[in-house]
Amino acid sequence: MAEQAHASPKTKNNKIGAFLSSKKVVPYIFVLPFFLSFSILTLYPAINGIIMSFRQILPGVVENVGFENYARVFNLNFYDALWNTVIYVFWTTMLLTVVPMLLAIFLNSKTIKLKTIFRASLFVPALTSTIVGGMIFRLMFSESSSAIGNQLMSLIGLGPIEWRYSAITAMFLMVVLAFWRWTGVNLLYYLAALQNISESLYEQADIDGASAWDKLRLITIPHLKPITVFVSTITIINGFRMFEESFVYWEATSPGNIGLTIVGYIYQQGVGQNDLGFGAAIGVVLMIIIFIISTIYLGITGTFGKGNNK
Amino acid sequence: MNRKTLLLLTTTAFFVSACANDGETGTSTDEVETIGSDAENAEEITLWTFAPQHIDLYGDAAERWNEEFPDRPIDLVAETYPFEQMHNNLLLAVQSGTGLPDIVDIELGQYPNFMEGIIQFEPMNEYVEPILDKVVDSRYELYSRDGNYYGIPTHVGATVMYYNTEIMDEAGVDIDEIVTWDDFVEAGKQVVENTDSTMWNVGTEDWLMDMWPMISQRDSDAIDENGEVILDNEANVETLQFLYDALYVDEIAELTPGGMNQSEEFYGYFLDEGSASILAPLWYMGRFVDNMPDLEGKIAIRPMPAWKEGGNRSAGMGGTGTVVTKAADNVELSKEFLAYAKMSEEANINLWTILGFDPPRFDTWESEEVRNPDNVYYEYFGDNIFDVLLDVRDEINTLNVTADTPNVINEYHTHVTFNVLRNRTETPKEALERSAKVVRSLQRD
Amino acid sequence: MSKKKSLMILANVAFGIIALIALFPIIALIISSFQPSSVLMRQGLSFSIDFSQLSLDNYRFIFTEADNYWTWYTNSLIISSITIVTSVFFSCMVGYALAVYEFKGKNLFFVCVLLIMMIPFEILMLPLYELMATLRLTDTYIAVVLPLVVAPVAVFFFRQYALGLPLELMDAARIDGSNEYGIFFKIMFPLMGPSLAAMAILQGLAAWNNFLWPLLVLRSNDMFTLPIGLATLLTPYGNNYDVLIAGSVLTIIPIVILFILFQKYFVAGLTSGGVKG
Repeated sequence: MAEQAHASPKTKNNKIGAFLSSKKVVPYIFVLPFFLSFSILTLYPAINGIIMSFRQILPGVVENVGFENYARVFNLNFYDALWNTVIYVFWTTMLLTVVPMLLAIFLNSKTIKLKTIFRASLFVPALTSTIVGGMIFRLMFSESSSAIGNQLMSLIGLGPIEWRYSAITAMFLMVVLAFWRWTGVNLLYYLAALQNISESLYEQADIDGASAWDKLRLITIPHLKPITVFVSTITIINGFRMFEESFVYWEATSPGNIGLTIVGYIYQQGVGQNDLGFGAAIGVVLMIIIFIISTIYLGITGTFGKGNNK
Repeated sequence: MNRKTLLLLTTTAFFVSACANDGETGTSTDEVETIGSDAENAEEITLWTFAPQHIDLYGDAAERWNEEFPDRPIDLVAETYPFEQMHNNLLLAVQSGTGLPDIVDIELGQYPNFMEGIIQFEPMNEYVEPILDKVVDSRYELYSRDGNYYGIPTHVGATVMYYNTEIMDEAGVDIDEIVTWDDFVEAGKQVVENTDSTMWNVGTEDWLMDMWPMISQRDSDAIDENGEVILDNEANVETLQFLYDALYVDEIAELTPGGMNQSEEFYGYFLDEGSASILAPLWYMGRFVDNMPDLEGKIAIRPMPAWKEGGNRSAGMGGTGTVVTKAADNVELSKEFLAYAKMSEEANINLWTILGFDPPRFDTWESEEVRNPDNVYYEYFGDNIFDVLLDVRDEINTLNVTADTPNVINEYHTHVTFNVLRNRTETPKEALERSAKVVRSLQRD
Repeated sequence: MSKKKSLMILANVAFGIIALIALFPIIALIISSFQPSSVLMRQGLSFSIDFSQLSLDNYRFIFTEADNYWTWYTNSLIISSITIVTSVFFSCMVGYALAVYEFKGKNLFFVCVLLIMMIPFEILMLPLYELMATLRLTDTYIAVVLPLVVAPVAVFFFRQYALGLPLELMDAARIDGSNEYGIFFKIMFPLMGPSLAAMAILQGLAAWNNFLWPLLVLRSNDMFTLPIGLATLLTPYGNNYDVLIAGSVLTIIPIVILFILFQKYFVAGLTSGGVKG
């Protein structure tokens, strides 16, 4: 038994043992893996990334170029990438919080039979990779008039659409892929949260003669706030790091930059154009943007405060 | 997930693992091939390429080498990767100095990325200089820097026009009468009028299948010989206007299905006689043979139409420069093997007989082996291929390829074609000026 | 009451349709994996399927000739298994400590967790790549797994979950002479079972489908994972679409099995964690 082994007091080994298992030290040992991975895999690269962003890095020749990389960042293509990313974040955040929440509320009510099957069916898309899922969508929305997307269009009397070649349909393709893959996951989060709302609250409300709408408005939705913050935060972050949803449709370059995202731009310039320093500079700019947005967002929703509550 | 599906899936899973074990014998999709000697003393040479068919050429060379020099056997390990992945991998390997192969194929548009900093490749001058008077030297210049020849070209890439003769006959067009682009437009109108096909396609992601050869042909380029961006010069604006007119004014062309003529969508479309001609380099013959075998005997090859009578009728497009890296285990042997595999007379003949490429050494163009009619390409396209090539040999300009070239191609594919040819929201002049500005803003001081 | 009943039926039908729509793309992929792949590439996925064209050819090919595919499959299985075990274990430890102990710097650690959640990994990938190259770790399993070993999202999740653990038990165990490790491994860790299952699925998913990072650090064909390998088949120069489509279908299987195995705990795990933030 582990605790006995630690508990039997004898030699000076025990002093170390006792020290290591004292309540003061244990937490640090527990967080040690995180501390190591944070310093080596996040902090060090972050600092190194900032250093790289002031350099031109070519094989065998590393040169300090001051702010030149930053001066080049703000070009028309970067703005395209930023704009696409922001729009994508907006739509995915909207859809992936509201829709799963509504589905979960319905699914949690007593009206719906076969809950497990519905839940599982909606979750299955999450099991596919973006590459596989994206390939399916690419085939469904191919330009060919015999593809599913265009067959549906012709049902409502519209001609075949070249889905991958206009800004609006391109955004639709990326958002719909993310929406399809993530709805089921977020649905589970919401269902979980719903089950944590105490039944007695509703019973009390029934006694007070509250309508279904009142219960939704006054009990369900307020209790879903923490999970909504969690889900929307994750969605926003995932939106800003989006790359694969665009990569499966267009690889690194898309017509009119309609699929270009910031991470895509990092990849295109940093790796594809052999400009590591420039790629790092774009990364730093993105980091700043995300910091600003998430600080504001978490400030508004009060997550930092909650973090200290326990 | 209900029980039945679960059952189905688990059974499949067992099936998968069961079959996986007896599937060891197949080799046809292997992306890693080992060719050569098993001898103890065989030197291993690793090679990366993005074009699986190139391995046929290197493999043949390795086998001949081992026969010819039994005392110095080699063992060639050839790996194929997809285009983007291979070049990105190579860039990362060059940056970090680890994981480099001995020999590697690099595509022309990507090549400038490797010419920055300290060049990690070996100059091949000792092999190139003796044969410079027997080759289309513009192809060797492409891969040279400061008097050093690094990359060995794979083909001339002479751009020609492929015509579907059935459609042309139906339309009553004599393709030998098409001398200038104006003639081409007139013939196009006849095709559109008399058949169900359109004349031609303009690509949205096909810079080297229309815009680039057509501006190169009129002595322009995207970048001049001093490295200045001239993407928005008058000749280029006019050429883009010509492409626009072909689509929307003369209405003799459609946008290329799939965006480029090397796509499944396009092959299907061209097989169904969607259009009557393709502008492409000679190496495109391989695409016909592999992807559109049903058109055998119906395709004729002619020089490009010229901008004016007596003007250039071709341009060298696309290409692969093969280099030896400094990290090679045995630099001298790798260089010797590369020269043996791609520069010798025999190698150039093989470029034609094995790959259907127009070999850079023109002293082989009239050799018996090259003219041997027993060859899939002659069967498919008729026997005038090298006559066309000899005819246009001196009408091929050198391309200016610099560190800005990848950005130019990127801008053309993402911005110019999208706004001018597809959405028609910008004039050729506006779009080219905007893109030239972006390329200039990405330049370093 | 009949109005209510018909509403109920309507709601159920609506959900049935939604479920079908969600499953439809996968069903379509499975059916089309029996079609010749060139048809698929030219025509796209279509409602109108020519059933006379369906055959087992793609699967026959993948099982007999596509050796590389099975190498990728094995790599993916190995990498995902290592990732699941290490990331769930370590993240759980960290999340637990952040939830139940009071110690100096705790808030700082927690802010760091949130911070990493905020920093897209992709921003750090270029410097991280340089680090891996310096350590000569490129083209190894370690390089792929390392950045996933402690997953900030999982730490966050476990912290939220552990906040709800019955702390009285800890004190009782201390009185019984248990030390802190014993409390964790013997009492608390088992109590976190459902949340472990939930994270095993999510981390497994992330590892199995991971794309950009393996793309950077893996060099050689026999180290590729499935997503990277499948992406190599999308090249216009090769005609490997047979393997691509059928191979895609087969990639879904292990993860579906994982899901089915843990599904019960999965939902229960999510129920009690991630909600109290």
